[in-house]
Amino acid sequence: MTEKKLRQIAIYGKGGIGKSTTTQNLTAGLSESGKKVLIVGCDPKADSTRLLLGGLAQKTVLDTLRETGDQVALQSIMKAGYNGIQCVESGGPEPGVGCAGRGIITSIGLLERLGAYTEDLDFVFYDVLGDVVCGGFAMPIREGKAKEIYIVASGEMMALYAANNIAKGIKRYALKGGVRLGGIICNSRNVDREIELLRAFAKELGSHLIYYVPRDNIVQHAEIRKKTVIEYRPDTRQATEYRQLAKSIDENTHFVIPEPMTQERLEEILVEFGLMDKVEDYRI
Amino acid sequence: MSSSKFVDRPRFHCALGGALFTLRALQKAIPIIHASAGCGHNLFSASNAGAGYLGGGYCGGTAWSSTNVVEREIVFGGEERLNEQIRTTLDLIDGDLFVVVTGCMVEMIGDDVRAVASGFADSEVPVIAVPTPSFKGNSYDGYDMLLSGLFRDYVTQGLKKRADTVNLLGSVPGQDAFYKGNLTEISRLLQRIGFRVNTFFGEGETLDNLQKASEASLTIVLSDVYGLKAAAVCEEVHGIPYISLPLPVGAAQTSEFLRAAAVALKADATTVERVIREEEARYYDYFERIADIYNDVDLQRYAIVAGDANYAPAVSRFLADELGWLPRLAVITDLLEEERIPVLQQRFTGWESDTYPLVKFDTDTSAIQRYLAEAWEPNHNERYADTFSPTVLIGSVFERDLAAKLGIPLLTLSFPVTNRIVLNQTYAGYNGGLGLTADLLTTLVAGR
Repeated sequence: MTEKKLRQIAIYGKGGIGKSTTTQNLTAGLSESGKKVLIVGCDPKADSTRLLLGGLAQKTVLDTLRETGDQVALQSIMKAGYNGIQCVESGGPEPGVGCAGRGIITSIGLLERLGAYTEDLDFVFYDVLGDVVCGGFAMPIREGKAKEIYIVASGEMMALYAANNIAKGIKRYALKGGVRLGGIICNSRNVDREIELLRAFAKELGSHLIYYVPRDNIVQHAEIRKKTVIEYRPDTRQATEYRQLAKSIDENTHFVIPEPMTQERLEEILVEFGLMDKVEDYRI
Repeated sequence: MSSSKFVDRPRFHCALGGALFTLRALQKAIPIIHASAGCGHNLFSASNAGAGYLGGGYCGGTAWSSTNVVEREIVFGGEERLNEQIRTTLDLIDGDLFVVVTGCMVEMIGDDVRAVASGFADSEVPVIAVPTPSFKGNSYDGYDMLLSGLFRDYVTQGLKKRADTVNLLGSVPGQDAFYKGNLTEISRLLQRIGFRVNTFFGEGETLDNLQKASEASLTIVLSDVYGLKAAAVCEEVHGIPYISLPLPVGAAQTSEFLRAAAVALKADATTVERVIREEEARYYDYFERIADIYNDVDLQRYAIVAGDANYAPAVSRFLADELGWLPRLAVITDLLEEERIPVLQQRFTGWESDTYPLVKFDTDTSAIQRYLAEAWEPNHNERYADTFSPTVLIGSVFERDLAAKLGIPLLTLSFPVTNRIVLNQTYAGYNGGLGLTADLLTTLVAGR
């Protein structure tokens, strides 16, 4: 039997693009196929594991740290959710005070010390706040952490701007260490020619569109019920899509140092696929 | 500026340190440090020793009140912790003014210290906050930040101006080991020409002098660098104009200083000339004592001067114009804004002796020796070499190794001055010129 190799994966993307929903659904898919998964939510809002736990039930690492100090028991911050997926929320300060970035660093450091990364795990997913505003939010892709990154994007202009910016950050870290871009996940917004645009965008970055997740209202229905689609309606087409996404990630071998685009080149691609009629129309 | 890629023994510390020692020099002003554990202690250790063992003063030094923030406060914000620390400090320490000063880490996470301090607006003694992050400057800047904050938030606004009152800035407590002696001497002279002087840190002064600083009709900044920003804030908030005059050392510079100050203050010229006459008569009565020994054993020396922007030009000129020495190299060791450099270079012109040193600006201690090779052709073992000897080095304790290597005496007067106990000594004014002469020549007769 070959030794298990832990894959640590970070999911980035513009705020509101659907990182948390996608991550939880795809990890549900991975767990169905027998994989052991840990999700670390790296967002002060602490809503990265809601669908797996059936609500915002568990205490965040930083809340626990604040109340009880350094003597934190792993059980008090790590809860098993749907199909045994281990869930941790880093948490953070109230909006407008303190340093959420430092919070992520503290939290991940504590998880390592407490031995959260057990040997039976196949995957650790870091679901990171949309805007990588400072070094703290890059913690999951620093040396020794996540080696793979997937960017969630859609055919909307701002999502692609954000994705290109994230690629710049990844390149910086990639040149220093082992982190690589594993692909772009399209979380569809039903934009015209979206799949072609995302393919072209991913190709320009030197990467690939690893999966196109179509838009389906069932996702919202499941979310209202605090469930992943796979748990809520396992027999639907959308559940199969997420299983396929999980499979694509599990079998992915295409890892690159991204080549982010200049603003001009990005705008050219947007014009090419009809998202912009004229670049000038979008200038403020 | 140095082209080196590392910082080699700089002669300043951080803005928080500058602010703390400025507060230490104010009577019964109590700092509350909002920073990581260790900031206060390190800064106390550095400034205490570096400023000739200035000490922590009233409720100061290792007794400084500090929030000692740890990771919890960094992540969740330190405002609650600061609130608690202000409350307990007010309970425990009998002070007349409490000032929250900050370290880098709480400024980076954006703690709103002014808002926290404003929550104590109803307390019996004033509590104000002055952000002093060190990524905004060093200890000299900390002095300006602190004084600017005090001028804005503590000094009473709208007091009636008094034509006979002047504020004196520019000597930085804790950076200048002799700040108190210097301020006392310049204050004494300005009083002699008819003025009330607020130096804030001088002998017999209290917070009352600071609170009523808005009565002054002029601020004199005794520096080409330090105190200018605070003086500008004072002008903006209290409408008090300011002038900048270099720190005067010895009779020639001090008489010049008094004449310039008198013009700006519209002082009575007859009084000023009388005071200058009397002061010079007293000065030269002492000074002439050294004429015999100076000529008998030839006490003329070459000199190297390394010091801050106040001392280096003033001392170099004193050596050249009053002591008849030959200063060959002057290194100004501050981290300066570009525009200050020509102003300081100008201080090395128009000397009576017409003897000027090579002037360099460098914060690196090791650079001084390199510049020496530029200032004086090295002796290549020629039979009739023109040796750079005898020489005296005037600088800080950082020059000890260089002095030992050259085998020459060292007089320390610029930060850090850890090899002296400094009490009321001064190197400013007439008394400072006498003191400097005595200290310099003492190094030459010490073995007799």
